[in-house]
Amino acid sequence: MADKENEDSQKAASDRKASLVIAVAGNPNAGKSTLINAMAGTRLQVGNWPGVTVEKKSAEFEYSGRRITMVDLPGTYSLSPYTQEEIIARDYLVHERPDVIINVVDATNLERNLYFTLQLLELGIPLVMALNMYDEAEQKGFRINAEMIASTLGCAVIPTVATKGEGIDRLIEMAVEFADPSKRYSSASASYGEDIEKAVQTVVENVRHRGGKPSGHEALRWQALKLIEGDELVLEETGISEDEVFLEKATHHLRKAHGEDLEMLLADTRYGLAAGLTREALQKPEKRKRELTERIDAVVLNRYLGIPVFLLSMWLIFKLTFDIAGPFTDWLDAVISGPLTRWALSLMTLIAVPDWTVSLVTEGMIAGVGAVLVFLPPIFAMMFFITLLEGSGYMARAAFVMDRMMHAIGLHGKSFIPLLLGFGCNVPAVYATRTLENPRDKALTALLIPLMSCGARLPVYVVFTGVFFSAYAGTVLWSLYLLGIMLAVMMGWIFKKTLFRGEAPVFIMELPPYRLPSVKNLLIHTWEKGKHYLIKAGTFILAISIFIWFGLNLPWGVESKKDSYLGLISQAAAPVFAPLGFGTWEAASSLITGVVAKEIVVSTMGEVYAPKACEEEQSEALTVGEDLKEIGVSFAGALGEAAKNVFSTFGIATISAGEEDTTGIKAAIARNFTPLSAYAFMVFVLLYVPCLIVLIAMRHEFGTWKWAGVAIAYQSILAWTVAFIIYQGGRLIGIG
Amino acid sequence: MTLADLKPGQSGEIVKIQVAGALKRRLMDMGVVAGTTVRVEKVAPLGDPLEVLIKSYKLSLRKSEADKIDVEAVA
Ligand SMILES: Nc1nc2c(ncn2[C@@H]2O[C@H](COP(=O)(O)OP(=O)(O)OP(=O)(O)O)[C@@H](O)[C@H]2O)c(=O)[nH]1
Ligand SMILES: [Mg+2]
Repeated sequence: MADKENEDSQKAASDRKASLVIAVAGNPNAGKSTLINAMAGTRLQVGNWPGVTVEKKSAEFEYSGRRITMVDLPGTYSLSPYTQEEIIARDYLVHERPDVIINVVDATNLERNLYFTLQLLELGIPLVMALNMYDEAEQKGFRINAEMIASTLGCAVIPTVATKGEGIDRLIEMAVEFADPSKRYSSASASYGEDIEKAVQTVVENVRHRGGKPSGHEALRWQALKLIEGDELVLEETGISEDEVFLEKATHHLRKAHGEDLEMLLADTRYGLAAGLTREALQKPEKRKRELTERIDAVVLNRYLGIPVFLLSMWLIFKLTFDIAGPFTDWLDAVISGPLTRWALSLMTLIAVPDWTVSLVTEGMIAGVGAVLVFLPPIFAMMFFITLLEGSGYMARAAFVMDRMMHAIGLHGKSFIPLLLGFGCNVPAVYATRTLENPRDKALTALLIPLMSCGARLPVYVVFTGVFFSAYAGTVLWSLYLLGIMLAVMMGWIFKKTLFRGEAPVFIMELPPYRLPSVKNLLIHTWEKGKHYLIKAGTFILAISIFIWFGLNLPWGVESKKDSYLGLISQAAAPVFAPLGFGTWEAASSLITGVVAKEIVVSTMGEVYAPKACEEEQSEALTVGEDLKEIGVSFAGALGEAAKNVFSTFGIATISAGEEDTTGIKAAIARNFTPLSAYAFMVFVLLYVPCLIVLIAMRHEFGTWKWAGVAIAYQSILAWTVAFIIYQGGRLIGIG
Repeated sequence: MTLADLKPGQSGEIVKIQVAGALKRRLMDMGVVAGTTVRVEKVAPLGDPLEVLIKSYKLSLRKSEADKIDVEAVA
């Protein structure tokens, strides 16, 4: 009996696969990632500009007892890819052949989306269409006959609103149904007309004859079409050369009847079909309302206002970042250096750990990690605004407005997006270069990204401006960001004249309509971006802090940190920095360790300048309860101050983490730097070598260490030179 | 006449694309094919690129590319 059961379930399995792979494909910005997030509860990155997803990502969930794997693909306009991320999507669909494709279609832009649908259908994989953005289509007064599209194309068509989860259940139900081989729906791909179909037939027969069918039986039609078009990738994959006799023969008639350009013939044919279907299935309202997007763009992209609006929004982002985050940074600093350290100390006294452990924990771990944690508020605030820029649709506008300027340095507007993302973190910015068409732009953009001052450099500026420039901290911060941008322009121009000679790239980009991101989504994606800093602090930075502590306390029993291993190395390196105004071993050690991640510059300073733990102990007699109360009260104070900052100040508020304390790192910095050398130091930190993770990202993205090497080389020289000019120049004119 | 000659607010019908290779393919995939109507919506503040309405979406491209797209003005 057991055997019989077994047999039965096996039989069931043969026509109902236990696990299904559903690929989600479509034009860029159609809502693919949003849809998967709604279906699988994932938090894939979403943004209102084309090219958010640059890597294939998958999400799994259970559906009526089956394992469903959804694969999120980068958006693409065609199956003859143009950019690297499009190649990823194309290769996946062609070579991995998912069980079913969910084709996400932007219902407000039916014709161009259907053009891609037709190409997907050529693949012969069962297809279910999500007619997404249905809410926006309705708002425009569009009436779409989904059934007509379904019956014409031989697929299922389900209206969806991915942001609200509408139509999702029905979509997954249909996708699963279509995936079952037993019910294999023949997606009767629309006919491309007698001439083309005949040529396809001939090519298919010949290819089959040769036994060359690298991408499976069903893709033969697609392959034949690509061979007729002369698609380079397919020619290469099949090993068929463009002037093969059978190809010539098969297309002979086509060429004679329709001209030599078969690629264009097929594009025209597909667009003809897409346009015809759109005309029949879509009913537009008689009178078109002037849409919100157009009204906003009338200002934002205005001839005269465009640039001021851009500058103002950038300035607002910086101002709000510091206004809102400042008070919380102060609060966190107080909590970590106060109650938290006290608790750790009492705990350690209680269990009577040796002195060196106390030092490791307070001077190493808490001082090191704490120095970085304190800056989570501005980092999260920055991520929040970047998420807002991405979600609203302004990102693409910024690229549009800035294109002319980028052109001057040999780039184009699209490069502007990775550069802007770089202000959050350089690592995702390097990956975002994938949306650029040619390798030259990619490399040039990636080389300039490290000059965009990322969140991790912020702690350094804040500490130093807090000590030396608290009266005009906003201006000083601004000047650093601006300096980075100006040097990027200069380096871009130099690279264009040297390493990257050749013609300037083209700029072709879709401008999506403005959309209001939901608060929930904003928060989720801010968190997703910012959490890496938190994780990094708890793992990477913690480990490095411990490592640095040992570096500063070995050989065992060393009297002064100066004679420790790290101290000795730093002393050897210090003379290099002397002409820049900070030739101390303390500064050198923080710069050396800061190569790993720039926040570590302050971590190391926290450890190098940390007062001996035991000296501090006496004054504390507060109970845990009092501590907690104090934490709460000061948090409320921070909230109030943040609100006040936003509305009352016109300048940029300062972060004054622990200004009062005279024993800590601030006091030590005040003793060891002058305002001039402090500024030179900040500039040096801004410019010198990208952090390790960025270097790895560059290696990963380009498959070679070459560009990482170029970045290290040019940035070291640039940082030293600029800091030198600032320090020595400043001394010449008598500052500092 | 080319797309670059149209002023904001003017429309034209695409007659021919005078580029070759990957760029042409890309333009075609984005809907820039003969017979399609385009309207110039805006010129960027610094004079380049253009924003055009094509197949009911907004596309931006530079004048240098627009100059290679032949159009016939429509009223
Ligand atoms: N109004 C509305 N907006 C939507 C809908 N689906 C997605 N969006 C928004 O459309 C934008 C694009 O969504 P994504 O999910 O990032 O699009 P994508 O297809 O993954 O884009 P790429 O990864 O760039 O190819 C986001 O701003 C979404 O919030 C919808 O059904 N209605
Ligand atoms: Mg996506």
